[in-house]
Amino acid sequence: MQPEQAQITDIDLLHSVARRDEQALASLYDRYRVILFGLLMRILNSREEAEDVLQEVFLQVWRRAGDFDEQRGRPFTWLVTLARSRAIDRLRLLGARQRVVESAAASTVAAVSDAVTDTLHSEQREIVQRALAELPEEQKRTLLLAYFEGLTQSEIAARLGTPLGTVKTRMRSGLLKLRELLATQMMSLR
Amino acid sequence: MLAAQALNALDANDSQLLEAHLEDCADCRSQLSDLQNTAAYLAFAAIVAKPLEPAADVRARILQVVRSGSPGSNVIPLDQKRPRTWTSAQAWGAIAAGFVFVVLGASLFVLWQQNRATRIELNRVKQQVQEAQTERDKLQEAFALMTAPGTRMTELAGTSAMPGAHATLAFDKNGRAILMAKGLPAPPEGKAYQLWFIAGGRPMPGKVFVTDASGAGMLNDQIPAEALNAAVFAVTLEPKGGVQQPTGAMYLKSS
Repeated sequence: MQPEQAQITDIDLLHSVARRDEQALASLYDRYRVILFGLLMRILNSREEAEDVLQEVFLQVWRRAGDFDEQRGRPFTWLVTLARSRAIDRLRLLGARQRVVESAAASTVAAVSDAVTDTLHSEQREIVQRALAELPEEQKRTLLLAYFEGLTQSEIAARLGTPLGTVKTRMRSGLLKLRELLATQMMSLR
Repeated sequence: MLAAQALNALDANDSQLLEAHLEDCADCRSQLSDLQNTAAYLAFAAIVAKPLEPAADVRARILQVVRSGSPGSNVIPLDQKRPRTWTSAQAWGAIAAGFVFVVLGASLFVLWQQNRATRIELNRVKQQVQEAQTERDKLQEAFALMTAPGTRMTELAGTSAMPGAHATLAFDKNGRAILMAKGLPAPPEGKAYQLWFIAGGRPMPGKVFVTDASGAGMLNDQIPAEALNAAVFAVTLEPKGGVQQPTGAMYLKSS
């Protein structure tokens, strides 16, 4: 997969960024802008906020690339975690603005989709979405509420009117099942 | 908890507990890292229809900040104006503004300090009021107990170790008791006086109390049922948390 990236790994790029290589930062941006922007749009539901946070995320990557420890996790996980936590911080800052989660943000915002990047992540997207579709609806819902709305277990329990214990079980089962479903398929994409 | 932590969905308490555990559990750390990888893939679920492109100038803005060497500032304005020279009016304006700023800052600081001093004073007064109320409640309770019909009084006399001490124990038929002591010096650091109920030669521990600089002290306690009749009352000096068996010198004893 991703043949044009085969020569330089994400880890190499992060190491270069840590050595103040601007070009490496630009490459990392080109590689992940679409998936990260998609994530930020889903959480913030505002192009303006999402672009602002995307900028913050990459400036943080620039400052903190030296902290990245390949023993402790993968670059993709590091980037997504960074982006998600920044976005959720911003979301809290903006106040719990009313958002319709399930309605696709994409339909209301002009999609400046690019054929090349579209193909870039399409395979992973398909795998993840297929795996999610296999989860029981409540498990999937619990995962997505935590992931895209940044809700804690108690907040989810309150939101859904479900006992906390049930939320905990669903979250655990859901993520473990997802890991199992993704394990084999994602391995081939690494 | 690991799954929830991978999604940052743990409530604060649980999260703290888990963090503490992770410090010394390499196995859980590696499981967490694994689950975080899975969670990261959820980002792909964000793109429901067509992938979106951020505006082209985001990339340019990032690189511009990076090149300017000040990535400390997170956001730079979209329209970077060309450098300008200051007119003297602007310069004077800036100096005046700077002066106002300094004055405001200084006033704020003074106000802040005053506010802080006032709050400290307020807390002190509140505490005094609370202490006075507690004291008053205790006295009222003592008064109520001593004036209630059927309340008995027993005198405790100072032993040879503390001949100047004296106490009165008032108690009702339910065992509700108040001890009022005089002439007991304030106990040394880490020590306190403890009341004992001795029935059939067996001492039963009561509560501990301290006395003030004037040598006066007061204690509310509950006399055990088996000690209500025919008990001897005594006060010893013990470690301040109290003990189960008397260990220190006896200062007061009823006859």
